[in-house]
Amino acid sequence: MGLSSVASNSEGMQLCIFDLRRGQNEGQELDKILFFYPADLPFSTQLSVIGLSEGLITFTRIFSPEAACEVIEAERHSHVFFEAEPDIWMVMIVEKNKEAEAVWRVGALRNVLKEVHSLFLMFHGSIRSLLEKEPAAGLIRSQLYIFIMDYLSAFEKRSPLDYCCWDFLSSKKLQLPSFRDSLKERGTVQMLTVGREAAIEVQSLVRVVESCTGSPSCHSLLLFQDLLVSTTLSPDDAINLFTYAVLRLTPRALSTGSSSWSYLLKGSTASAAVTGPAVGSPTSLSEPFHGSHGTSAGDDQSHAMRPLQHDRWSRGNDGFLVTDIWQAEPGSLVSVTPSIWLQQTEEKMYLCAYQHKSLTLIVLIPVSSVINGEQGIFAVKQLVLENASLKMLKVEEKLSKGWGGENAYHVSGYRYLLVDGDRNLSRASPPGKVTTLTKDSLLALSKLREEVDIEKSRARWDDDDHEKELEICTRARNNAWVITRVTRGKELYMVLENANETLLYASDAVQKFSNRYCNGAFSLD
Amino acid sequence: MSSSDDDSASSGANSGPVLGSKPIEDGFSQLRVNDLANGSVNDDAAEGSGDREGVAVEVDEVEDGGSASARVGGTEIEEIGEARGMWRSNSEGEVEAQASPSSSGYAGERGSSSGGSGIGEEEDEIEEVRSDAGSDSQAAWMPGKRHVDEDDASISWRKRKKHFFILSHSGKPIYSRYGDEHKLAGFSATLQAIISFVENGGDRVKLVRAGKHQVVFLVKGPIYLVCISCTEEPYESLRGQLELIYGQMIVILTKSVNRCFEKNPKFDMTPLLGGTDVVFSSLIHSFSWNPATFLHAYTCLPLAYATRQAAGAVLQDIADSGVLFAILMCKHKVVSLVGAQKASLHPDDMLLLSNFVMSSESFRTSENFSPICLPRYNPMAFLYAYVHYLDVETYLMLLTTSSDAFYHLKDCRTRIETVLLKSNVLSEVQRSMLDGGMRVEDLPIDPLPRSGSLLPRLGQRRPFTDSQESLKEAYAGIGGPAGLWHFIYRSIYLDQYVASEFAPPFNTLRQQKRLYRAYQKMYASMHDKGVGPHKTQFRRDEHYVLLCWVTQDFELYAAFDPLADKGSAIKTCNRVCQWVKDVENEIFLLGASPFSW
Repeated sequence: MGLSSVASNSEGMQLCIFDLRRGQNEGQELDKILFFYPADLPFSTQLSVIGLSEGLITFTRIFSPEAACEVIEAERHSHVFFEAEPDIWMVMIVEKNKEAEAVWRVGALRNVLKEVHSLFLMFHGSIRSLLEKEPAAGLIRSQLYIFIMDYLSAFEKRSPLDYCCWDFLSSKKLQLPSFRDSLKERGTVQMLTVGREAAIEVQSLVRVVESCTGSPSCHSLLLFQDLLVSTTLSPDDAINLFTYAVLRLTPRALSTGSSSWSYLLKGSTASAAVTGPAVGSPTSLSEPFHGSHGTSAGDDQSHAMRPLQHDRWSRGNDGFLVTDIWQAEPGSLVSVTPSIWLQQTEEKMYLCAYQHKSLTLIVLIPVSSVINGEQGIFAVKQLVLENASLKMLKVEEKLSKGWGGENAYHVSGYRYLLVDGDRNLSRASPPGKVTTLTKDSLLALSKLREEVDIEKSRARWDDDDHEKELEICTRARNNAWVITRVTRGKELYMVLENANETLLYASDAVQKFSNRYCNGAFSLD
Repeated sequence: MSSSDDDSASSGANSGPVLGSKPIEDGFSQLRVNDLANGSVNDDAAEGSGDREGVAVEVDEVEDGGSASARVGGTEIEEIGEARGMWRSNSEGEVEAQASPSSSGYAGERGSSSGGSGIGEEEDEIEEVRSDAGSDSQAAWMPGKRHVDEDDASISWRKRKKHFFILSHSGKPIYSRYGDEHKLAGFSATLQAIISFVENGGDRVKLVRAGKHQVVFLVKGPIYLVCISCTEEPYESLRGQLELIYGQMIVILTKSVNRCFEKNPKFDMTPLLGGTDVVFSSLIHSFSWNPATFLHAYTCLPLAYATRQAAGAVLQDIADSGVLFAILMCKHKVVSLVGAQKASLHPDDMLLLSNFVMSSESFRTSENFSPICLPRYNPMAFLYAYVHYLDVETYLMLLTTSSDAFYHLKDCRTRIETVLLKSNVLSEVQRSMLDGGMRVEDLPIDPLPRSGSLLPRLGQRRPFTDSQESLKEAYAGIGGPAGLWHFIYRSIYLDQYVASEFAPPFNTLRQQKRLYRAYQKMYASMHDKGVGPHKTQFRRDEHYVLLCWVTQDFELYAAFDPLADKGSAIKTCNRVCQWVKDVENEIFLLGASPFSW
C-alpha cells in the first residue's frame, strides 16, 4: 500500500542517501545518489541537493575536521545531516512552517535517520559492504528504496477509512516527529516495571527458552504489550530489535497492521486479543526445505526482502509469528525463517517470535549453530512449545495483573520524559496525557530540548571527562514551568502547567518526582 | 525630549519593580516588552538630512588659518571616500581636510599593529592557547588587525575561534577579522557561492552547524556578513553581532554604498574602509565584554544626581541651538545625553558611535568634525559629529545635520567645557571612574530607607575604613550575600542597564568573558523569537547559578555560586532590584531617555 501514496507526496520532506566516494568524475555525479525521496524529483534538483550537501561537508571540514556539517538552517527549511557510515551520508530536508505545526527539533529528526539506518543494518548489513559486493549499486538502490519507503509509511497519516481513530486528514502526509513529540525519545527502549516475584518468573522463563536453543550465544527479548520486560542483547541490538518488534510484531502492531512505531505514539486501546488481519496470505510454517543457508544464499534472497512492509506478519496457530517476507530464493514462494544481523557481534541470527496474549518473546539463534536449517529451527520451536509455553502463560498472567494499563506511568500534575542515556531507556507521560498540554508549552519545551541537545553535543566535543550537569527551570510566557535536569547521563524533561506558583514550588515538585520515581537521581540534596 | 531637571521624570519614567517581600515570580501577569525596533529609526526626525547622503562635504573656506575644500565629487565612490575624510583642527582652530579616499586619517592603519601578535593575544584567538597567561588582563587587548600574514590555507587561521567576514554579493572580500582580505578572495567566493546557491533554491541560509562550529550568515542587500565561530555563543547572539558589524559599516559609509553595487556589481569596497580595521576589531572585542552588545541598552557612569543634572542642563542649552544630539561619555559609559526635540537615539547607535570614536586614535589627539551615520536613526544619511576629548577618557560628541557647523559646535564645546569645569563635573566623573559602580558585597542586608544612595558608601570605601570595611572583608572572595557574584539590571523604559563591578571570583578577563557569555546565552534563551519572552529562568551548571527575571519594567540577570540555595538566591534578587530602585537617581540617566519625546 504505502509505496505509491508516499511517493506522490513530494512537498514537505526530502530524504537522500549518497556516497561521497562514488561519482567523483564530472558528469557522473548521479552515481553518488543511492536513495532519493521523493523519487520523482528531477535529477537536476536531486543533484543540486547533493551538491549543496557535499559542498558544505567539505567547507565545514576546513574548520571542523572532526565533525562535518550537521545541520543547515535556512529561512524555510532545515537540512539535517547524518553520516551513517564513513562517507555515506543521509540528509533530510524539512520545510518549516509554524502555522502548519512544522516546528522541528533537529535532534529528533536525526534520530529518525539513525533509526532507519540501524534497522537497515539489522536486516541487510552495512551499505558499504553491500556496495563493495556490488559496485554497480543497482541492487542496493532498490533495497534502500523499498526499505526506506516501507519505513516512511509508518509515518504516514492514515486515512479515516483505514481506521477510525483521531486522524481526520485524508491526505497521506508524513508525520515526522515535531515539537508535539518533545516528551518522547526515539532510539530508546521503554521498559515495564515488574515486581520482584514476576522478575524471578521472567528470569526462569528466559533461562528455559534459551536452553531450548542449545546454543550458548543465543539471545532473547521479552515484551509485554509494547514494553520491554527483559533482554540479553547488547544495548544497540536491543534498541533495534525492540523498535522492530514494536513496529511489526507486538499484538498492537499485528492488530493494527500498521503504524505504531512506538507505544508512545498514541494511547489507543491495545487489546490483548490478537486478530491478525490475515492479509497477504501468510504461508504456514515452511516445512524443512533444502537447508539452503549457505554462504551466499542469505544475500541472494535479500533483494526482494521487505521486513518493514505492513501486514506481513501474523500469529500462527502454535503461537509463533509467521511471515512470508523471507524467502528461500528470490521470487520463490517458499518462506524461510527470518534472520537478522547483530551489530555487536556481526553475527547472523535466526529470529523466532512467540506470542501469548500480550506477551511477545523473541529468540535469536545463531545461524551458524543450527546445523540443518529450517529443520533445526522447527525442532527448537517444538522444544520451546513443550518446555516454555506453560511458563509463558504464567508470566503473562502475572504481568497482566500487575499492569496498570496505558496510563500506568502517568504521574498526575506532571508531564515528563525521563531518559537514561547510559542504558538507552526512556519513560514518559502517556501520550494521551501529553496532548492536554498547550501548544505554547510544547513549543517552549521543544526549544529547551534543542538547547540541551546543543549543550550535550558541545560537552561531547570538549572531551571533558566529567558529564554535563545542567538544570534549567523556565517560566514560560503562558506561566507553565518548563524544566530540564541533566545529571550523570540521565535527563529529565518536565512541563508543569498548573503549578502557577513560585520557582521554589516548581523545584520542589521536581524534587518530589525525583525522589519518588527516579530513586532521587535528580535530587539535589 | 524632556529636560533633565524635570524632577517628576526621575520617579516617573520607571514606575519600578514592585518587590518588597514578594517572591520573584509574583505580580507580573502581563508582559509588555519594549520593542526596540519600534521607533528606533525615526525617518521623520531625520528629514532635512536625507538629501545629504553620499554627497561630498562641501565646505567653503573657513577662517584664514584652516582651509578646507572638499569638492562635490564625480562618482559615488569618491563621494563616500571623501566624506570619510576627516576634519580636524588643532587648538588654534586650524582645519585641514583630507580628501583622499584612501588616507582616512586613522592612526590604527593596518600595519601599525600587525606585528604585535605576541602580547596582544586575545583569548578568543586560537582554540589551543586557552591558558595563555597574557590573556587575563584587560590591558592585554591590542586594537587593530593581527595575523595579516595568514590565509585560509594556514592551520593557525583555521583554528581561530571566531572569524568575521564581510564580503560583497559578487564574492569580493571587504573585511576579515584575521588574515589579509586579498589573500582570502577564494575563500570569500566560497562563502558567496554557499549563500547564492541556497538563494537560488528560493531560500536563505542562516546557520550551518558542524561539531563545535557554527557558521552564521547575514545578508544585507549587496553586503554579505559571515561569522564562523566555535565559541559557545548561541546563534541569535552571533547573528546580533553580525548586525552590529553591519551597523558599524553603515556608521562609516551609510547605506548609500549600496548604490555603488547597483552601478557595478563587482565594485571593490575595501578602499572605502581603508584603515578602519581598528574600528571593527574594537567592536568585535566588545562582543566579549560589553553587555550593551546583546542587551541593546546603554549604561551610565554613576554620578550624584545633581552632578548629572548639571551636565544635562548645559547640554540641553546647546541642543536648543541646532544640535541634534549632545552626548557626554566617559569610555563606554554615558555621563549625560540630550537630544533635540523628537530626535531619539537608539542604544545600538550609541554603542557603534562610541566604539567608532574610542577606537580611532585620531579623535583623541585633536578636535574632530567627521561625517558619521547612525544606522538606526537614518541609515541613508550622514550626520556630522564634532568630537572632542575633554580629558583622557571623557569625550563630548555633538551631532548635527549641517556640514558647516564646525565652528558653531566648536563654540558650543567651549561653553560646555567651561561649565563642566566650573561645576566640577569632570572631576566627579574621574572620581566615579576610580570608585567604580555597584558592588555585590555592598548589597544592603536590610532594605534601605527610600532615600538610599550609592555614593556615600562609595566614599566610605576609600582608604578610611569603618564598619562597612570589615563587613566587606567577611565577604572577600565569595562575592555578596547568598553567594551573589554579579548582576545586570536592565530598565526597559530607560533603555539603560547597570552591571555590578566584577569582584572575586571574576578576577581574570577569561572568567569575566565566560560569565558574559553565560548571560548572553540566557538572554537568547529568554528572548527566543518563537516562544519568548519567558518570565523567569533558573539555570545551574558547573560554573554558576544564573537567575533571570523579565518583567514589563526591567530584566534582571544575576550570577551566583553554583552551590547557592535557590530560596536565598531569589530573596537576594529581590533585594538587588530594591537596591537598584533606591539608587536609580545615581546610576541611571532619568528624564532624558532617548526614547522619551
